[in-house]
Amino acid sequence: MNYLKTKTLAFGNFFTTANYKVILSMFIMGFGQLIYKQVVKGLIFFAIQAGLIVFFVFRGAADIAGFFTLGTAAGNPAQGIHGDNSILMLTMGLFAIILLMMYLFAYVTNIKDVYLTQLRVEKGSPPLKFKEEAKEYIDKKFYKTILFLPILFVSVFSIIPIVFMILLAFTNFTGDTFPALADWTGFASFRELFGQGGLAPIFFRVLLWNIIWAIITTAINYFGGLGLALLYNKKCVKGKVIWRLFPMLAFAVPGFITLIAFRFLFSDAGPILWPINQERLLDPYSYPISFLGIDATWSARIIGILVAAWLSIPSSMLLATGILSNMNKELYEAAKIDGATGFRQFTKITLPFVIFATTPVIIMQFIGNFNNFGIFFFLRHGTFSMIGDVPYSDTDLLVNWIFRLTVDARRYDLGAAVSLLMFIATSAIALFIYLRSPAYRKEDTFR
Amino acid sequence: MSSLVFKKKKFKLKPKKLIDVVFTYIGLIIVSAIFILPVLWIVISSFNPTGIHTPEGFLPTTWTINNFRILFTETSHFNYPRWLLNTLIVSSLSCVIGTLLVILTAYTMSRFKFRSRKKLMAMTLLLGIFPSFLAMSAIFFIMMEFGLGSIWGLILIYSAGAPLGYLVQKGFFDTIPNSIDEAARIDGATSLGVFIKIILPLSAPILVFTAITSFAWPWSDFILPRVILQESRDMWTVAVGLNAMSSDHPDRFIAGSVLIAVPIIILYFALSKFLISGLSSGATKG
Repeated sequence: MNYLKTKTLAFGNFFTTANYKVILSMFIMGFGQLIYKQVVKGLIFFAIQAGLIVFFVFRGAADIAGFFTLGTAAGNPAQGIHGDNSILMLTMGLFAIILLMMYLFAYVTNIKDVYLTQLRVEKGSPPLKFKEEAKEYIDKKFYKTILFLPILFVSVFSIIPIVFMILLAFTNFTGDTFPALADWTGFASFRELFGQGGLAPIFFRVLLWNIIWAIITTAINYFGGLGLALLYNKKCVKGKVIWRLFPMLAFAVPGFITLIAFRFLFSDAGPILWPINQERLLDPYSYPISFLGIDATWSARIIGILVAAWLSIPSSMLLATGILSNMNKELYEAAKIDGATGFRQFTKITLPFVIFATTPVIIMQFIGNFNNFGIFFFLRHGTFSMIGDVPYSDTDLLVNWIFRLTVDARRYDLGAAVSLLMFIATSAIALFIYLRSPAYRKEDTFR
Repeated sequence: MSSLVFKKKKFKLKPKKLIDVVFTYIGLIIVSAIFILPVLWIVISSFNPTGIHTPEGFLPTTWTINNFRILFTETSHFNYPRWLLNTLIVSSLSCVIGTLLVILTAYTMSRFKFRSRKKLMAMTLLLGIFPSFLAMSAIFFIMMEFGLGSIWGLILIYSAGAPLGYLVQKGFFDTIPNSIDEAARIDGATSLGVFIKIILPLSAPILVFTAITSFAWPWSDFILPRVILQESRDMWTVAVGLNAMSSDHPDRFIAGSVLIAVPIIILYFALSKFLISGLSSGATKG
C-alpha cells in the first residue's frame, strides 16, 4: 500500500517537474538521454523507436489488421490462386501485438530513465556513465540480465502457443492443407460441443474416466513408491544398493520403448494371449479373448493403470528414498520409548511428514497423470470407433481425445475449445488441492 | 540394564522377526522380478529373429544378431545411423544450453528478491500446469513459419522449455547459506563474480542432475519430434524412427531400442547418487 502511495506521488510530481529533456524523450525516444550526453543509451533507445516504425510501415500494421480479419482472399487450388493463409495471419498478428507491447515497455522505461537522470542532476550529481550503468547489470541488476533470455524463450515457446491455442478456440479453423478462410466465430465451437446433438456426452465420458484415472494412478504411484522405499529401508535388508537397481532399471529404459513392448506383450498375437486363444479356437463354445481390443474397455484400462504404475513407481521410490533420508531419526526413538508399534509409527510420524514434504510433488504428479498422453497413445491409439465424424476410444484421456480431434480429424477449433476447458479444469483442481494441503495451511509444522 | 533388555527382547521376538525377514525377502524378490522380467524380455527379443513379436512364447527358438546388423546395413528406408546422429546432436546441444539456462534462472530466483519475483513464480506454476503437449500444434505452426521444422527447431524448443523446470535447482540453491555470498560481496565481488567463483563450484551435484535429466529427456522423447519433424525422415530422431518401425519391423525396432537404452541406463546407474539427491531437493523445497 505504502509502495503504491509513493508511486502515485512520484507520478503526480512527474507532470509538474519534468523538464524539457524528459518531454523530448517522450516524443523521440533517447533524445533527452543524448542531451544529457548519455550517447550509447540514447542511441539504443532511438534505434528501438526507429526499428518499430520501420517494422510497422513494412508489415506490422498489415499483420495486426490481418489478426482481426483473418484474411479476405480465398484461395483456389484449381486455379493456382494461393489466397490468404488465416493461420499464418493469426500467428504473425500475435507476434506484431507482442512486439508492440514490448515496445511500450521500452518506451516507459525510456521516460522513467531520463526522469531519474533529471532528478539525479538536480541533486547535483553528474549523469551516470554507460560503463557504470552496464556494471550494474552484472551486479545489482544481474537478475535482469540473466532472466532476459529465459523470459524471452518462455514467452515465445510457452505463452504464445497457449494464447494461440486459446484464440483458436474462438475461430473455425480446421487445418486443411488448402484452407477455406478461417473466421472469428465467438463461442461457436463451444456451442457445437455442448449444443443439441453435440459432443458433450463423449466429452463428459472422457472427462469422468480421466478423473478416475488420475486419482487411481496418482494414489498407486505415490503409495507404491513410498512402500518400496520403506521396504528397501528396512534394517534387515542386506545389499540395499543392489535391490534398488531393479526399479532403477525400469526408470532408466526410455518410456516409449517399454510402452511399445507392453503393447506387444498384451496384444492379441502376444506371448500371453496367443497360446490361450489357439486353444480357445478349438473349443466351439468359447471365443478368443482380447486385452486391448475394441470392446475391451476395462481390461485395457486396468492394463493402462498397471503399466503406468510400472513406469512411475521407480521415480517416486527414488523421491521417497531421498525424503526419508532427510527425516529426523529422533522422532522414532521417542516413539519407541513411548511404546508405539511399527504401524503407529508409520501412520503418526512417517506418513504426515512425507505427505507434508511432498504435497507440491503430489499436485504435479496428479497433473502429470491427468495429462498422461503416452500410455494410451502407445497402447491403443490405433483402436477407436467413430461417433459421427469424431474418433473416440473408451481409454482416451482428454489429451488423447484432443490429439484425435486435431491431428486425426483436423478439427483444430474443437480441439482448442476442449484444451481451453481442460486447462481451466486442471488449474482449478491443482489450486483446490494446494489450498487444502497441509503444506499451505500449516506452513511451519515441520520446520 | 540395557544389555539385559536387549537379550530378553532378542530371545522373545526371534520367531516373529524371522517371519518378518522371510516376508521382506519374498517381497523384494517379487518386486525385483516385476521390474526385471519385462526388461529381460526386451533384451532377449532383440536376439530373436521375429523381434518383439513373439506369439510362440517369451524365449526365441533360434538366436541371432542379424537384427542389429540390418539396422546399420539396410538404411535406405530406415536410416538408423542417421537418426542416432540426429538424436545425439539434439540431446547434447539441448543439454548444454538447457542446463545453463536452468541453473542461471534457479540461481537468480533463489538469490534476488526483486519486485516481480512472486508473480513470476506463480506464472511459471500456471505454465507448468498447462500440458505442453496441447500447445504443440501451435508450436508446429510457429516453427513452420520461421522455417525451423528441423532438429535445430527441436533444440530451440527443448532449451527454451528448460527454464520452466527451475524449481528443483532453486530448492538446491536455497540450501546454500546466504552468508557465503555476503562474505564475498564485502570483498568487492559482483553478483556475476559470486556466481562463477563461489556458487558454481558448490553446485556440482545439482549440475550433474540437471545435465542428466536434460540429456535424457530429448533422448527418449517421442511426441514433440513426431509433431515438429512430420515426414522429413532424414531429420527424424531415433524415437520417431523406432515408432515407425515398431509395427511392421518388430525385429529392427527391438534391436534399435536396446541400442539406445543402453547408454541411458549406464548414465543413470553411474550417476544414481545425484539423481536421488536432486529429486528430493526439489521435492522438499519446491
